[in-house]
Amino acid sequence: MTTYGMVIDLNRCVGCQACVAACKVQWGAPEAESRDWVVPIGPVRDSQGLVSTFYVGLCMHCDRPACVEACPSKATFKREDGVVVVDTELCIGCGVCISACPYGARYFHEQRKKVDKCDLCSSRLARGEQPACVETCITSCRHFGDLEDPKSDASLHLPGSRRLESGDARLGPNVRYLAGDRQWRLIHDRFAPPAPELSTPAWLLSRVARPLILLAIGATFLGQAVAFFTQLRRGEHPIEE
Amino acid sequence: MSTRKTSLLEPHVLLGAADREALQRRSIKKHDTAVILLHWFNASIWAVELATGGALLAGPGYQIAPGWWRTFMISLFGSPAMVLKVHITAGVLWTAVLAVYGVFGFRKYLMPTVSDYLIPDMDDLVWLKNRTLLMLGKRVSLPPQGIYNAGQKLYGLAVYGGTAVIIVTGLVMAFHLAPSWVVRWAILLHFLAVGAIFSGLFVHVYMGAVLPEERPAFYSMFTGKVPELYAYRHHYKWWRRYKEIELDWRQDLEREAAAERRQSEEEI
Repeated sequence: MTTYGMVIDLNRCVGCQACVAACKVQWGAPEAESRDWVVPIGPVRDSQGLVSTFYVGLCMHCDRPACVEACPSKATFKREDGVVVVDTELCIGCGVCISACPYGARYFHEQRKKVDKCDLCSSRLARGEQPACVETCITSCRHFGDLEDPKSDASLHLPGSRRLESGDARLGPNVRYLAGDRQWRLIHDRFAPPAPELSTPAWLLSRVARPLILLAIGATFLGQAVAFFTQLRRGEHPIEE
Repeated sequence: MSTRKTSLLEPHVLLGAADREALQRRSIKKHDTAVILLHWFNASIWAVELATGGALLAGPGYQIAPGWWRTFMISLFGSPAMVLKVHITAGVLWTAVLAVYGVFGFRKYLMPTVSDYLIPDMDDLVWLKNRTLLMLGKRVSLPPQGIYNAGQKLYGLAVYGGTAVIIVTGLVMAFHLAPSWVVRWAILLHFLAVGAIFSGLFVHVYMGAVLPEERPAFYSMFTGKVPELYAYRHHYKWWRRYKEIELDWRQDLEREAAAERRQSEEEI
């Protein structure tokens, strides 16, 4: 059993954006979009003085991904190795998963008319390479690997790491952070995930239309079944007219 | 027999055995070949689209077919993406054929079907009321009906409207013809239109293929014809109109024959 994940040591991040550039080049993201991001926070003053950090974000490859729950066609799904992926041949770009992800880790690729997101560089993984962002990071603040393997780089950095969760969204993210309390508070205050949001048509489809249609199909089927058995009981006239 | 023959044109006449036998022996044309072909093409496409569509709507909160159905479809076509390709290909083919029918058959088939056959009239309202009373065990008679009864008309209108919705939303989804928020609404509308038609499909199939009283309607989807007795009993208004057309046609024939006779006499 494999669960790929990442531990990001924010104490080492210098905000150079090399990881973002590498990812954009690797995956051809449009200018305004990216599969990952680095957002500088601060400096702001707290009780101990000035503090600043970087929010390094990407798809969290959650244990209970809200995007997978929201996708109508299972075009987005969680693989057995824990990576949440989009089947781009099946995706029709409805974007229900985009609003469902509380981390904002998905975007609509305007040219491809599909949803795009981090898949931990699955094609590179298949070749035995590391994700582009991990390989590019100049301070080696990203630690990637199988979280089930105690010897993996990610597992070795798990102690003391934190998950970016909130009371509204406890999805079990598999991207974790190493950060001091003050830095973590800055990130948590600004980027704690809100409750996953299901868009109105998707909500209507799953909560209203689906039960209604199932009821209608069931009722007509039952009605015809009763009529058919009544017909069987009565039999038919030998002369058809 | 001769006195009753003229009174057949009045509705709800109790038929004698000889009339019944005579009417049963004669067939009248109900469907053109184009309509028969379109019906079975439609049925085949619906079978493919329901099978693949049921497998595609597979998200945890949206699933409508059992999980094994999706597995079966994926095994059959190779991958979920191939199931989608088959769904889209069949849908585009369906759209193209309906478009040809709609354009070339607009005056002959499409408009007359909607305006002459599907728009409900006062008799239809009474039929709906009395049909409900009959199902509740009351003893009431049904008013005469056209080529389609009121129930068929309502379902027919739902099918025509639903088909338009299915095609437009299907094209929007398949080719991403609008922004994502429109695609999201398209999924909902596509599902509702298919669901509404599909829930009526059980009644359509049962009434058409299984119920003995309506069985001539089923056979007519192969032969194009129904026995006159069936038309007289179930679709009196249409039968009467048919007889008027037939009468006009006979008179035309007789006039033509008389004209030919006169011409040949003059030549002699």
